[in-house]
Amino acid sequence: MSALAGVRVIDFGQYLAGPFGPMILADLGAEVIKVEPVTGDGMRPVTKPFVGCQRGKRDIALNLKDPRGLEVALRLVATADVVHHNMTVGVADRLGIGYEACRAVKPDIVYCNTFAYGREGPLAHFGGLDPLFQASAGIEWDQGPVAAGNPPLYLRFGMADTANAFASVVGCLLALLHQRRSGEGQELWTSLLDAAQWLEADALLVDGAPATRPILDAGQHGFDAGYRLYPTQEGWIQVAAATPGQWRALCEVLGCPEHADDPRFADLGTRASAAASGDDEVGARLAERFATRTALAWSRLLDDAGVPNEVVLDTKEGELVLFDADAERLGLVAEYHQGRLGRLRQCGALVTFSDTPVRIDRPPPRFGEHTREILTELGFEAAEIDELHAAGVVASPPADYPWPT
Amino acid sequence: MTDALGGLRVLDLSWGPAGALGVLLLAEHGADVIKVEPPGGDPLRGYDGHAVWNRSRRSVTVNLQDPTGLEAFRRLAATADVVVETFRPGVADRLGIGYDTLAAVNPRLVYCSCPGWPEGHRRDGRPGWDALVQAASGQQWEQPGWRPGPVFLAVPLPSAAAMWLVAAGTLAALVARERTGRGQHVRTSLFQGVLAYTTQIWSWVPDGGFGYHAVMAKTHPPGIHQEMVFEVAGGAWVHTSMMSGLPPKRSMDEVVGVGAEPTDAARFGMLSEAERAEFTARRREAYRRWERDALVTALREHNHAVEPITSAAESLGCGGRPHPQLTANGMVVEVDDPALGRTTQVGVPVHLLGTPGRVRAPRPAAGAHNAEVFGELGYTAEQIAAFTAAPGDPAVATGTVPGAEAPTGSEVDR
Repeated sequence: MSALAGVRVIDFGQYLAGPFGPMILADLGAEVIKVEPVTGDGMRPVTKPFVGCQRGKRDIALNLKDPRGLEVALRLVATADVVHHNMTVGVADRLGIGYEACRAVKPDIVYCNTFAYGREGPLAHFGGLDPLFQASAGIEWDQGPVAAGNPPLYLRFGMADTANAFASVVGCLLALLHQRRSGEGQELWTSLLDAAQWLEADALLVDGAPATRPILDAGQHGFDAGYRLYPTQEGWIQVAAATPGQWRALCEVLGCPEHADDPRFADLGTRASAAASGDDEVGARLAERFATRTALAWSRLLDDAGVPNEVVLDTKEGELVLFDADAERLGLVAEYHQGRLGRLRQCGALVTFSDTPVRIDRPPPRFGEHTREILTELGFEAAEIDELHAAGVVASPPADYPWPT
Repeated sequence: MTDALGGLRVLDLSWGPAGALGVLLLAEHGADVIKVEPPGGDPLRGYDGHAVWNRSRRSVTVNLQDPTGLEAFRRLAATADVVVETFRPGVADRLGIGYDTLAAVNPRLVYCSCPGWPEGHRRDGRPGWDALVQAASGQQWEQPGWRPGPVFLAVPLPSAAAMWLVAAGTLAALVARERTGRGQHVRTSLFQGVLAYTTQIWSWVPDGGFGYHAVMAKTHPPGIHQEMVFEVAGGAWVHTSMMSGLPPKRSMDEVVGVGAEPTDAARFGMLSEAERAEFTARRREAYRRWERDALVTALREHNHAVEPITSAAESLGCGGRPHPQLTANGMVVEVDDPALGRTTQVGVPVHLLGTPGRVRAPRPAAGAHNAEVFGELGYTAEQIAAFTAAPGDPAVATGTVPGAEAPTGSEVDR
């Protein structure tokens, strides 16, 4: 049995920031039912990100604006532990699936709404996508880096979306544990704004002024000569000489031991200060030396000398990781058959458990794939189910199913 | 008002942000967290960000190389619900504080490990510093920069993802414990943090039909979202975006006053490549005529999605007011740190309305709670002084293990 066996989650979310959280709950073993509009999740036509946040779920297509559809939704909620979605402020209440409506049918429900900005306040009525919150949090500023004179730079990892999804997972689990211990459910929320800011948690003010933090150089190599990327004769290498001994060994391996004794570069702190004040003499010198051999050759020499380093891997958009034997053996890869796409391979277990194994074996559902199955479980007769289909209240996959997923 | 995690005790053996911030999510929802440090303190204490990572907990120091210290730690672990550690795989076992040892005494213990590389991976013996995991996982190669080649990620992404996994994995195991009555070993890693943040862009299908790989592909220069970054007056920046969730009153181009043609994406798309370049230059020029905050206000008044691009310090109020919505969300908090003094820090990012989280306390000094915590276990002041100090420290009254070496940076992750 998996860690969250016996936990049922109803996922009313669409796009990315909403559905990704319930997918992680499914990875952890929860039974997740995706309630999709009869017009389809707006993300379905964009296959790659869609399959990135939907595996492990069953799917019912339901028109919440029809009273019979709403009734089905609330009957589902009555069987659930957690409700999760990313509708903007007020929308769920208007649809009739707000916290109070859900609590009325399931008094101990854990109810999670994720927002762009927040639940109340000056910008709470706005929705918003990931880039806004990479901007507000300082992520683009730091990656530019603007402090070194570059424009700000957007990161393509969906930082705020993903952080928000994980914040909502933590929130749901906190509330669920409390519910299991006390019998009481509750409402909770997260936002892209707050979760993105948390990625910059080490930024703090001391007496109103910024605390000391390492900043990236204009060439986007790293923080200082001992903790940065270097291009080599072939390929790139990342070094991490943290201790004075490792710094000395790095300088010796690179054939410039005189830098090991230079007080400007003696330790992490002074190297970072030197780099921040534009003194990159030692970095430039090491870069010259690195250009004379391949990354792999330097890596072997640095390994022998005890200097932490790695050759930078180009995974070909993940292919080398997804077909890596260690990753497969450790369950860090998942594969299933995905409709017209065929084999679909994705990242697997983000957490593993010694006593409650992780099983990630259910592909993203087709639109309405489990509508009949779920309605039957709720006690609807076949004739009623046909009638709901005919009236457009629910939907199952059409014969000429248009989407690859 | 009760706390979500009231009555649960967590021992935090971690160094660095992934473990400490994962634990912080538990601490600020009511867990009794005790940070367990080597004599002299966690070596990262000199870093200012440490004050945020390690707030809302108590601190003890203990010399695990001293048999009495090791025994004291094990007795403490017998009272705990959770242990979090970030040593390289194998190190905790060598120290005598591995999962099997502690669970033999306390089978309800949830033990969460977060090394750089997962145990059993061929790299699990190599140093697990954040940037090394960025490099060898391939994550640095995914980010387009201002030059070809991999880019160092300024925000330590593997750690900043693994912190969520530490909290989520631990909580999931605590939920399971309510059902099974048993604890277990929960494992994640910085490498799995990388996977968490690349799930959307790392997937594989046999032939990539349906334009599968075109969406979200890495491009030079960086793609569509980067094109919506604009410089404004005085070298400041804004990021505009699609989809505010509200109906626009006028187009962005109209609000900004670009003039002469396109007023929306559809009309822009109908231009020839040369016309687009010409119009883009005109558009960028129009943005540069605006003062940042006035432009943000004007665009928002017309229901457009926009944010000033700020440093994290400015978001927290450096040089002015904090981001107004961060303030409304209670995300800007004042904390008196014993070492740094008056600080402004990020708040609690998960908002439980029934059992709200809050900052409990500033970061403790190393060993501030030695007497309190070990006193509760029945140790005398003399005994505590002996096993909480470093070998060679004059406070040490009794001997250490003959031949034992203190842990070094090269043995311990991050």
